[in-house]
Amino acid sequence: MKKARKRERRRHTKSVRETYVFRLFVAGNESNSSLARRNLARICEEHLKGDHKIDVVDVLRDAAAAHKNNVLVTPTLILLKPLPKVTVLGNLNDTRQVLAALRLTGDER
Amino acid sequence: MATAKPRTQGRDAERQQKSRKALPKVSTGIAGLDLVLGGGLPAGRVTLLTGGPGSGKSMIGLQCLLQGAANGRPGILVMFEERAEAVRQNASSRGWEMARLEKKNKLYLMDARLDPEAVISGEFSIKGLLAILDQRIKAMRAKLILIDAADALLHLYDSPMRERRELYALHEWLLDRGLTAIMTVKTVPQEEAPSRYAFLDFMADCVIHVDQRVTAQLTTRRLRVIKYRGSGYGRNEYPFIIDENGINIIPITSNVLLHRPPGPRVSSGPAWLDDLLDGGYKSGTSILIAGTAGAGKTTLACVFTRAACQRGERVLYLNFEESAESMVSNMLSPGLALQPLIKTGKLVVRSYLPEAMGVEEHLFHALKDLDEFQPQHVIVDAISACKRMGSEQAAFEYLMKVLNASKERGVTCIYINQTAGLDIVAEISGIGISSIIDTIILLRHLPIGAAVARQLIVMKSRGSKHSEQFHEFRITDRGIDLVKT
Repeated sequence: MKKARKRERRRHTKSVRETYVFRLFVAGNESNSSLARRNLARICEEHLKGDHKIDVVDVLRDAAAAHKNNVLVTPTLILLKPLPKVTVLGNLNDTRQVLAALRLTGDER
Repeated sequence: MATAKPRTQGRDAERQQKSRKALPKVSTGIAGLDLVLGGGLPAGRVTLLTGGPGSGKSMIGLQCLLQGAANGRPGILVMFEERAEAVRQNASSRGWEMARLEKKNKLYLMDARLDPEAVISGEFSIKGLLAILDQRIKAMRAKLILIDAADALLHLYDSPMRERRELYALHEWLLDRGLTAIMTVKTVPQEEAPSRYAFLDFMADCVIHVDQRVTAQLTTRRLRVIKYRGSGYGRNEYPFIIDENGINIIPITSNVLLHRPPGPRVSSGPAWLDDLLDGGYKSGTSILIAGTAGAGKTTLACVFTRAACQRGERVLYLNFEESAESMVSNMLSPGLALQPLIKTGKLVVRSYLPEAMGVEEHLFHALKDLDEFQPQHVIVDAISACKRMGSEQAAFEYLMKVLNASKERGVTCIYINQTAGLDIVAEISGIGISSIIDTIILLRHLPIGAAVARQLIVMKSRGSKHSEQFHEFRITDRGIDLVKT
């Protein structure tokens, strides 16, 4: 984790930010899925200021998409852009950890 | 030998019949395992298969799954640890046609390994996996599911409570779909069900534990059914082996004697010996040839072998003392040409190093030959060497089982036993099996003046008026001759 964070900080110093593209896999309205949706929306609002796209996929309705993306647990958040791809499992409750994983901590410095 | 009344067996069978009505079962496709489980796995329920690394649990699961898939019960394999490609390769090396089953939509391999790079933040569930599986189950009308290395899934969760919750959810999901499920869970060696997974036991309707242990430097694999809700089952530890065809379970402790009555007499080879034996050996009985080293035991057995093969009978010779080649060449000295008998397929010589494998594997090879070659006679040379299979107990197990298997098939069983000392009578008992042997022939050397005389006596021959005297004989280049006195 720490290593990844350092690496990402170096890479993301002063580049112009691309639009963040997310795909969030949820399972209907189960509590962790709803929580993940809210957490992601909040993080995007606070740290990306609307410069983002979120595509929510319900695995209960679209199992094929889950299969294609090898999504075994819900919720699963995949950051598609900017590359490299990042996968975060869980309800995204740990904001600091999520920000670090999404390479969003560098901006606050 | 008198046939024992199988009283306990009858009760067991009755109990099993009752339970069969109450509980539908699914064949495992492994004959020995079905016997132990009283028919198979509980249909529509969860069976837990526990064991240490390399104990063979995944192999058992996979064989059940493939057998089911090939017999009209499509199945899904969910792998939390292994790569699908590795499983395919292992299966094809055993000649299991996985690819064909996959193509026909009878088998589906689900690689459920999580991305090791993924970051975990907060709680989650395996709903994604279940959704994918649901789709597959519907598409292929799956009846079986094997969840391999379910313990790896549990390691994802940071608290035992959540582990438990997820497993309950998984269990419910399996029951809802009516799937017959096998879950393999790795345990620490020497431990049947680690306390961490104690609740797993509680959840499953059937729990099978397999282990691999080393005794006297020999590895043996054993399987035990720990519980089976609503069904009778074999309560012993059952040895099993994994060979090129997969799992073979040998229920060593069969408790019924189904011996056939002795058949007609057959010549022992030399006419004079037939006279001493009241007309030769009775086919389908057991014979022990005991004596000191070099007394002529192997020669006596080979004289019989040649006579039998020349009558058109088949002989299986299990040699634990020397290689087939050296036996063939050694027997040329008393004028016994065995090679032609091997060539015509009447004689099969199997040469094994006793310590090369465990007693189960030795047994398996012997039983396989008995069934495939279907000999009229089997010779074991020598039972004294069988101790090297591990222990006296192991040797006894082996010899008893071979003897029982022979008697069930009406096969004559000739055991050769090498005795060390001069007090032969005390020693011939031969690993405690002498009481169940029908005929005992004893050979000995006796110093007479400057020379050594060979003598033979028939110590025992059930149901025969045999000679009760020592007779001197000589090994010549034409076989074994009686020295007339």
